[in-house]
Amino acid sequence: MTTQNNITQYAQAIQEQLAGIFSPVPVYALFNRNFATQPKFVTWQLRNVHQPVYTGNYQGNKGIDRPIFQVSIFTSNLQTGMADGFNLANTLIQSLHGYSGSFGTTHAFQVAKADVSMLYHGYDDAVDLFHVFLDVTLDISA
Amino acid sequence: MALPNKVLAGFTASLYIQPTASPTALTLTQLSTLASVSAIAVSGNLLNVEAIPAFGQDDAVASFGVAGSRQSDKVPTQSAPTSLTITAPWNPSDANLLLIRGDAYSGIIDRTFVIAATDGTNIVYYAFNARVSEFKIDAQPSAEAKAVFTVHPRGNLYGWSNNA
Repeated sequence: MTTQNNITQYAQAIQEQLAGIFSPVPVYALFNRNFATQPKFVTWQLRNVHQPVYTGNYQGNKGIDRPIFQVSIFTSNLQTGMADGFNLANTLIQSLHGYSGSFGTTHAFQVAKADVSMLYHGYDDAVDLFHVFLDVTLDISA
Repeated sequence: MALPNKVLAGFTASLYIQPTASPTALTLTQLSTLASVSAIAVSGNLLNVEAIPAFGQDDAVASFGVAGSRQSDKVPTQSAPTSLTITAPWNPSDANLLLIRGDAYSGIIDRTFVIAATDGTNIVYYAFNARVSEFKIDAQPSAEAKAVFTVHPRGNLYGWSNNA
């Protein structure tokens, strides 16, 4: 049906969309010791970018892409950290769960549906951070 | 004409349909004629489908049992070409998918379908005339939307050809 979408655009749009949702809490593409300066921050990782391939010798005969990205929320305050983390998770769920429409800002594309699944939460004693992990699945029309 | 002497990979079969809303289906002779069939098997006539189901001929026999005879007998009869239930990713504005939808709506349009199986170099064609029934959209939310339809070949109207 179409060519494979560019993963770079997915990444750019995810960064833009999450930055808009969580503002003023910073969003980073990778975990790089931001807890040293940030009491609350969010990272994400993209995975499972794959359009199913269909029969025939035409390369364009493919299905829709359903990439998944994991959102990791980190909070540091010992008294309010867990509540902060859950509240940020709720912000993401309220903004994105069931969302359809334009995803991203300057690198936006249309998503048919976004599905947010809260995986688990926890506390890492070594770095003194609460964390909440969520998966977001995007349905991207080909 | 020699057939390609190798086992073909299953995933490189493509489905082509004769163009226009009121096609003139090929004759029985043309269905086995490479020039007639390969003219349909061009990219503009490609129908994007997920997979090609089993194609060929159905089984049909007449069974006989004769009193006093030790064995009964099974005699193959004129078995019909196999009906194909096909799943396509639903693109609402795909021109060829709309032709299929129109055929199903009519129910009486005879159209030539061509299945081309290729190993990357040589192509084996299976061509048949058929009508379409059962065109439905499956838009369940956990997967991409599908168009599912069934192609019923007309009796004794199919042929094989190859470009090797």
